[in-house]
Amino acid sequence: MSEIRRRDPRREWIARNRLHPEHASVLAALDGIEGGGATSEWLGPSGVIRKNPRAVGFIGPSGIKRIDRSGLQSGSQPTVSAMAVSGDSRRAVNIAEPAFLVAVVPDLIGGRLSAHDKDMLGLARRLADVDVGRPGAVVAILFCEHKEEALGEVGIDKVLHFNEAIYAGFAPEVRLAALTTVERELAPRYWLFPDSPLGGADLGRRLALRLNERPATGVWQIEADNEALLGWRCTARGAAGSLDIQRPLPRFVLALAECAEPVDETRHAAERLSIAGVTPTTLSRIEDLGQVAVDPAGVALAEAEFILSGGNGVKNWDAFHHAAKVLGATEGASRVAVDDGFMTRDRQVGATGTWVTARVYLAVGISGAIQHLQGIQRCDKVVAINLDPGCDMIKRADLAVIGDSAEILAALVGMVEQRRGGQRDAA
Amino acid sequence: MQPEQQGLEVAVLVSVGRHPITGRARRAEQDARGVELALTLASELPGTRINVLHAGQQDINSEVALRGYLGMGLNSLTLLEQPEGSDAIAALAAYLTKALPPLVLTGTRAECGEGSGLLPYALAERLGWPLVNGLAAVETIENGVVTLLQALPRGQRRRLKVRLPAIVSVDEAGPVARQSAFGPARRAKFIVTSAIHEPDRELTQWHLAPARKRPKRLKIVKAASARDRFKAAASKAGGKSGQVLSDVTPEQGAVAILKLLEEEDVLR
Amino acid sequence: MLETLLPILIFSALALAALGASRRVRLWRQGRPSSVPILKGLAAMPRRYLVDLHHVVGRDKVMSNTHVATAGGFVAAAVLMILVHGLGLGSSESMGPILGGLLLAASAAMFVGSRFVARRRRNPPARLSRGPWMRLPRSLMAFSGGVFLATLPTLGLLPDDFGSGVLALMLAAVVVWGLGEMVFGMTWGGPMKHAFAGALHLAFHRRPERFSSKQGGRRSTGLKALDLDDETAPLGVGTPSDFTWNQLLGFDACVQCGRCEAVCPAFAAGQPLNPKKLIQDMVVGLSGGSDASYTGSPHPGKPVGEHYGTPYGPIVGLAGQALVDAETLWSCTTCRACVEECPMMIEHVDAIVDMRRHLTLERGQTPNKGAGVLDNLIATDNPGGFDPGSRLHWAADLNLPLMADVKQAEVLLWLGDGAFDMRNQRTLRALVKVLRVAEVEFAVLGTEERDSGDVARRLGDEATFQRLARRNIATLSKYRFQRIVTCDPHSFHVLGNEYGELAEPGIPAQYEVRHHSTFIAELYDAGRLAFAPWKGGRVTYHDPCYLGRYNGEYEAPRRVLKALGIELKEMERSGFRSRCCGGGGGAPITDIPGERRIPDMRMNDVKESGAGLVAVGCPQCTAMLEGVVDASAEVRDIAELVADALVEPPSVNATGSPREPVVKATAEEVL
Ligand SMILES: Cc1cc2nc3c(=O)[nH]c(=O)nc-3n(C[C@H](O)[C@H](O)[C@H](O)COP(=O)(O)OP(=O)(O)OC[C@H]3O[C@@H](n4cnc5c(N)ncnc54)[C@H](O)[C@@H]3O)c2cc1C
Ligand code: SF4
Ligand code: SF4
Repeated sequence: MSEIRRRDPRREWIARNRLHPEHASVLAALDGIEGGGATSEWLGPSGVIRKNPRAVGFIGPSGIKRIDRSGLQSGSQPTVSAMAVSGDSRRAVNIAEPAFLVAVVPDLIGGRLSAHDKDMLGLARRLADVDVGRPGAVVAILFCEHKEEALGEVGIDKVLHFNEAIYAGFAPEVRLAALTTVERELAPRYWLFPDSPLGGADLGRRLALRLNERPATGVWQIEADNEALLGWRCTARGAAGSLDIQRPLPRFVLALAECAEPVDETRHAAERLSIAGVTPTTLSRIEDLGQVAVDPAGVALAEAEFILSGGNGVKNWDAFHHAAKVLGATEGASRVAVDDGFMTRDRQVGATGTWVTARVYLAVGISGAIQHLQGIQRCDKVVAINLDPGCDMIKRADLAVIGDSAEILAALVGMVEQRRGGQRDAA
Repeated sequence: MQPEQQGLEVAVLVSVGRHPITGRARRAEQDARGVELALTLASELPGTRINVLHAGQQDINSEVALRGYLGMGLNSLTLLEQPEGSDAIAALAAYLTKALPPLVLTGTRAECGEGSGLLPYALAERLGWPLVNGLAAVETIENGVVTLLQALPRGQRRRLKVRLPAIVSVDEAGPVARQSAFGPARRAKFIVTSAIHEPDRELTQWHLAPARKRPKRLKIVKAASARDRFKAAASKAGGKSGQVLSDVTPEQGAVAILKLLEEEDVLR
Repeated sequence: MLETLLPILIFSALALAALGASRRVRLWRQGRPSSVPILKGLAAMPRRYLVDLHHVVGRDKVMSNTHVATAGGFVAAAVLMILVHGLGLGSSESMGPILGGLLLAASAAMFVGSRFVARRRRNPPARLSRGPWMRLPRSLMAFSGGVFLATLPTLGLLPDDFGSGVLALMLAAVVVWGLGEMVFGMTWGGPMKHAFAGALHLAFHRRPERFSSKQGGRRSTGLKALDLDDETAPLGVGTPSDFTWNQLLGFDACVQCGRCEAVCPAFAAGQPLNPKKLIQDMVVGLSGGSDASYTGSPHPGKPVGEHYGTPYGPIVGLAGQALVDAETLWSCTTCRACVEECPMMIEHVDAIVDMRRHLTLERGQTPNKGAGVLDNLIATDNPGGFDPGSRLHWAADLNLPLMADVKQAEVLLWLGDGAFDMRNQRTLRALVKVLRVAEVEFAVLGTEERDSGDVARRLGDEATFQRLARRNIATLSKYRFQRIVTCDPHSFHVLGNEYGELAEPGIPAQYEVRHHSTFIAELYDAGRLAFAPWKGGRVTYHDPCYLGRYNGEYEAPRRVLKALGIELKEMERSGFRSRCCGGGGGAPITDIPGERRIPDMRMNDVKESGAGLVAVGCPQCTAMLEGVVDASAEVRDIAELVADALVEPPSVNATGSPREPVVKATAEEVL
């Protein structure tokens, strides 16, 4: 990325001048350019990101400003409600002259920092802040558009944003080229990647081996260690998670989720960087033809993330299928539902059906026979809708609603449809 | 599928797996899926030759595991023999440079040893071949280009075109490996060649121990109000039995479910 | 004229039959060798026929008498006919009248028998085959009537010149028909083939130990081991010729009576298996051809006429159809109801498992969850893939003595894989309580125990079975105990009947194994247990296949229930006719779809008996019956019922003499 963006000094000036009559519209326009970013930050005249701390957060019930870091509410908050006093207790940190750099390449799944990404940034901070007198800076390297507004709040000192279209989709080769340039230009002391299958795990390994370094993978803990070359020792999972490997921390680290606490006590500058010398090549041996449409209802049960499963307690199957469609859930069934011919055999969950690993398993009118429960052992969250508060499914469920399945499903569908409708109106 | 002219050669790299509970040697889950993909390919593209490769030593354990792959319906396996603790990458790279199979399938991570998942990347780097991970299915192979589906979360797929020769790695999204049968496994032959022996010195210096249970992260509640703090404290800690809503209207129930679905971020 | 014609007819029929017989024998000999004592077998044949076969046939009195009259009449008539008409002894002064008179009597008896056969054929039940079988009564009558009439002139009961008219020609034609069906057809195929093949089948049966001896009835239900050390021996049966020759002979003996079909739970559930058709498929396979000429009920959902095979061709098609479909083989629960009912003593289960072995060991095609279960057994020694170290977790508070600590005990309590199942853990707890109250000195293997290998073997994975069995045998050989007690009939059967074959020099594998119901009955008889009277409702008892038909234990569970003060409401199908719960043979794992579920049908039997509680003695049955939705009856293991009823045993018996087994029920009462 040779040039970040052409600057318009006048607009930037207006953006900084809150009293200027065009202030709001310019902010909105900048907003658009910055890829959905909020008006809480913009590019300063020196090419450095400027932040408007007042633009983040919202006013809490007690009149105190709150910053919601879950990213849930901020989207719906009016961003320029920023007149109030900043009640932010977090320490602002600006590392002007970093002693070294820690490069982090977050996954930015769906344009957002995942929990895993935030843990990585927490880990990066630990590495950067080892010597209070001579702190290092955390450089986040972001690919493509993203929706994060408060990059400084997760511990990022500097941001390198590669936003060209060629980086979109599955583009490991061009991304790798960009990262090798970063290595050449900035020579970070550490490179950190989330060890997540479809993100950092891939890119991190590519980069490490391109640079002929042996990374530590599956890292879940680091400890200071004076004997180690870089002053740290790490514990990494090996052999498919059955082994702990302790070794000196190398330059390249691929870490697991929860490898460190995410940053929440400091606010960092998240200053925009640009580097020269990145010449994106379109010459690639891998061509991304785009995502293939897969109907969520038809996704293989074993792979499904959200399953709506029906049993003997489902009386209206049309409504059930409709609900699955509206919720975007994959359909599952108890054996009774399959035996009775309401569902096909490949939809059966349980001992003699499929063992599922869904994040959310919504069991409608299923009693929770042991053979069925076996199949959902590895589900994260189980929600049950059932008439019988004493049945075993309720005991297994994280959330159970006692009542008639048809009515509750109908209410749920109504709400989701409403929510969708509302969103569409807003868009 | 268009048959390639002389039939395609597919090399599948396999390792000795380890059962997660008992630690017994077995065929490695991902590698077996790789073999499965190759076998499916061979049945669709007549003339496909499958060369299953393993770098390591031959002993009772590895024999059990390797025969596990052979029982899927293979006649032989090429064993690049090297003593324990050797670096498999060098041996495999040397072999592949000579054999030059257009398509190499591998698992993503081994179940034994470091299991760092570096091998496919190291090979790709040494051979200078493109690499794709998360293979779900091979669609076509035409004119030296393979079209394949890569697995994305939630059962979604992405179509990729990759120029051969290439290395493609397989993980849990690959097709489930077929059963390994005793008869074919017993009959199949090992073709043994000795390979370079480069000990992995670094690994020997590390401290290896059975995995400890990772401490559960404490949910640090920094709630805005006393009410939130109270709610957080009162809500269940993970693992215990869940929340049961009885005597609620369907709407109230639906709200609770909707909230959970949103928290888990499964509604799209 | 008849006098000259009859010998010619008789001897040409016999000659043709001999030719047919040698052809038939050649067909059987396509099978693999199997060493059976030929002469001893032939010598034992009459007894096997008269005692064992008629024991089975005799369950249907009318049919039994019919068969005695028809078959007995035929055998006698045939022999006498050869003497009288063939060798011309009828005209001898001294012998003629006696032999002729006997021949008349024999053919008359046969004629009466054939009338009964005809009556049965008037409205034949669905289990009977039609086609050529429909003409059989007429053929029988032709033979017996023809011979009868042809003998009359010999005895001078009709004028001698009767034998030279048009009438005589007609009579000769009838005799030809009779001879054709009865003699020629016997070896060339046709309904009477069963007599020839059946007789030899009885003589050369693969399980001679099945037949009773003078000492009484015996039982042979264990599967036979494959020789895995011989790398050239086929792994199971892939083509008809992979069966042993006497198995092929056995298939040929089938009379298509359909008794097996009538009792088969898989058939009743609409799964694609009809044991009778399966045997006929094998007959088709052994001579080559299609099943189009089969005239009985098909495998449910599989039309007749689409399958074909050859002696050396695959039984299950590699792609597409062949002789039978794999689903047919995987539908079987190995309940042995068919074997128990088969008057020809055909071994369906052996054949099915043989063919499954090929599918699993050679093709790796164990359907559904089968492959996963086998992988679990290999990797974790239990079908569920549980941590083998957690086998005793359920009993953490029970302080069970471990064999590894005590080295010897009176009773080794075999837990089975139910130890991993929450439902069965309740049964195990109950059993432990009972043993403790009765002050039985027992110990468990704990984590040293492995799956018995039952499921692996019945899924066809002989290799995994033998590996598990050998390791269990090695473990057991380390300790001293008098008997093994288990609440799992499958382990019971395998330990007691199938390990023996795997013994190695110095490591015997013969154990005295008891089902917990047997053991509890013994404890009760010995006065070591006392029960509070039963206050519950009506109770019925479900005989587990592997306890009942496999091991003949029908009585002990009933004795225990009686001792509890329970008056049983027997189900219509109980005892040796008990209907399977659907849980055996890995059937719940391969889970071949049908129209109904076997356990649902069984629960319906329970309901019809009017009982509100069904007592069981098998973890598999418990799981299957409890899995029935909207069941009308509660399912409890006998051990649980006993544990609930325990009261202080009568304080140490003054005389110390055991209680009289007053409640002993006889087998007759039970069945
Ligand atoms: C060997 C074996 C293997 C098996 N394998 C499997 C398997 O793989 N998968 C499987 O699912 N089962 C399996 N089963 C069957 C299992 O035991 C149960 O029979 C089955 O799971 C029950 O299905 P169900 O919960 O839908 O039906 P039921 O047990 O009838 O439960 C229906 C539930 O719906 C509730 N209900 C009724 N009406 C309403 C309403 N209007 N609104 C809300 N709730 C309502 C009822 O309270 C009840 O809890 C197996 C059984 C055996 C023996
Ligand atoms: S063993 Fe039972 S299920 Fe199998 S064929 Fe015989 S009767 Fe049918
Ligand atoms: S196999 Fe036996 S029971 Fe079945 S039809 Fe034939 S003879 Fe009768």
